[in-house]
Amino acid sequence: MKNKIALKADHIVKYFYEPEKFQVLKDIGFEVKTGEFLTLTGKSGSGKSTLLYILSTMDTSYEGSLVINNELLTGRSQNQLAAFRNEHIGFVFQFHYLLLDFTVLDNVMLPALKLNKKSKEEIEHKAYENLKLLGLENQALKMANKLSGGQQQRVAIARALINDPSIIMGDEPTGNLDSKNTRNVFDIFKQLTREKGQTIIAVTHDDDFARNSDRVIDLSDGKIVQ
Amino acid sequence: MFSTNYKIAHTHLTSNLRQTLVALLGVTFGISMYIFMNGFMGGVNDAQTKLAFTSLAHVRIYNDGPSDHTNLIRAIVPEHTKVRISNAKVIQYTTGIKNTAAILSLLQQQPEVVAVTPQVNINVFFRNGGNKLNGTLAGVDVTNENKVYHIANYITAGTWDNLQFRPDGIILGEDLAKDLGVNIDDNVNILTSDGVSHNYKLIGLFRTNVKQIDQSKTYINIAAARQLLSENQEYVTDMQINVQNYEVTEPLVSRVAPVVPYKVESWQTANQQLEAGAQLRNIIAIAVSLVILMVAGFGIYNIMNMTINEKIREIAILKAMGYSGSDITQIFLTQAMVIGLLGGLVGLLFGYAVARIVNHVPFHIAGMSTLPMTYHVKDYIMSFLFGLVTTLVAGYLPARKASRIDPVEIIRG
Ligand SMILES: Nc1ncnc2c1ncn2[C@@H]1O[C@H](COP(=O)(O)OP(=O)(O)O)[C@@H](O)[C@H]1O
Ligand SMILES: [Mg+2]
Repeated sequence: MKNKIALKADHIVKYFYEPEKFQVLKDIGFEVKTGEFLTLTGKSGSGKSTLLYILSTMDTSYEGSLVINNELLTGRSQNQLAAFRNEHIGFVFQFHYLLLDFTVLDNVMLPALKLNKKSKEEIEHKAYENLKLLGLENQALKMANKLSGGQQQRVAIARALINDPSIIMGDEPTGNLDSKNTRNVFDIFKQLTREKGQTIIAVTHDDDFARNSDRVIDLSDGKIVQ
Repeated sequence: MFSTNYKIAHTHLTSNLRQTLVALLGVTFGISMYIFMNGFMGGVNDAQTKLAFTSLAHVRIYNDGPSDHTNLIRAIVPEHTKVRISNAKVIQYTTGIKNTAAILSLLQQQPEVVAVTPQVNINVFFRNGGNKLNGTLAGVDVTNENKVYHIANYITAGTWDNLQFRPDGIILGEDLAKDLGVNIDDNVNILTSDGVSHNYKLIGLFRTNVKQIDQSKTYINIAAARQLLSENQEYVTDMQINVQNYEVTEPLVSRVAPVVPYKVESWQTANQQLEAGAQLRNIIAIAVSLVILMVAGFGIYNIMNMTINEKIREIAILKAMGYSGSDITQIFLTQAMVIGLLGGLVGLLFGYAVARIVNHVPFHIAGMSTLPMTYHVKDYIMSFLFGLVTTLVAGYLPARKASRIDPVEIIRG
């Protein structure tokens, strides 16, 4: 299992054209093994978020190629990519977390309801388990907008795990959490890689978090510096 | 999958109830106006028709004489022959309809015919002392005349059926009686164009509320009319026929006209202004209600656009989690559909209520007591369908816009 490739990025180049033409990512290439816990670090503005959006298949305007689970995703249609994300990728956003008019439980269940592979009862059960894992079982029936920023971020993590995706990506997934909860999330991620062979790619500013992961990729001005 | 999309749609609708309500009211108003307008115009048309059919049968058969009196020689001389005729005199043609019995039985065999009544119509002068007025004297088959025209309903003094047993009796329009200054049991003297004069006894009055008729029409027994003209017991000037559906006279006319040697004429041909009036009123009703529905449609379009702008981050998150463009379309079309269905149902009830209320507004002209109204199931179904189509079209454009949102643009901020 250790030698299987979960994700392969090849010669990724990305420009922004507004307000002026500007190269954000400069020939990025790397591989991530299945079950690996990878962290992305770098100064603010170095292009970490931009890279993560490309890796998560949401951003499709780039040069180069992206392969996940041996499937070439570059060039696929938006709808194909949406279906792929739904099944194989869990994503924790940096800022926008939840659907605020829904309950916490609904938020966690939504990706699984879309995937539609399990009964509603099974999904609900699994959603409760994930919330418990993140210490939120008592918040399940609250409206999402009644939670604090840190709680919302943990709900987003519970949601990212609901479909047992093969890759979980997080853009500063612990950015709003205190050290105790950060520790907990780190342990959950570690456990997922070890016990279920899921792959983690997380952007972080937390040196401890990065140091304890399996591998760190450091980004500077859109280039990898090892 | 639909149930999840429906749940999301439901949450959107209930999280901003005020907006949803405004959209609902738009549809409700459009649909109730459609129902009210069409019901009202239908009522007006029916009232008009009812008035018209107090003096008009659905199909009339009569002897209209040779069609062209001006040059009868043309038919028998070779072409290019020079013909010059001056002071031509029209010789007497047979008036009226012969072999009435045969035509009657032919008509009664037609499936759509509900009533036939033979008439002997005579233009006469009515005289009371120095007072001389002209009008028509209708010699009628008392029972069948009532079947075609329901004239008994318009009798205001005396009884219609008495005419059957009173060869000397006459029934006058109220206005004519007033103009002549006669009352029940008075004598009414008439003078035909052939100079025959006769006295009848006034045994009844009627009011149809069609002024022209109330001022000039009178009824006597058909046998008495034949006697007045010294004609035989088969003599008839007009045959008046009613069919099941007054809108559908064409089949009967085209079937009977070739075999009857007289003019067979439907009320539509004889009174095209009535038909035109009805059609124009229908067009107005439909145009007004469609305009209102369109305005409601714009309202929904605006509100849906607002909702989508408000929920743009949610849409982006849903798409990031794997919801497809068609899921998003479905979510917003469902909202439009719910608005259309709910607004439609309330609109049906509200429209019915408005129609009921207007139907009770007093209106005392031409024999009506309240404003007229129809309640056709067809109008209700059509308005509901129009409302639904409008909301779906109005919802589809914003929904399509939402389905094309690029999540990364929104989430990147
Ligand atoms: N939508 C955008 N349009 C133009 N420039 C952008 C946009 N988003 C980010 N950038 C720029 O791209 C660079 C990388 O941004 P980002 O990937 O967010 O960095 P990081 O996540 O490492 O802080 C920054 O210089 C930022 O200003
Ligand atoms: Mg960032």
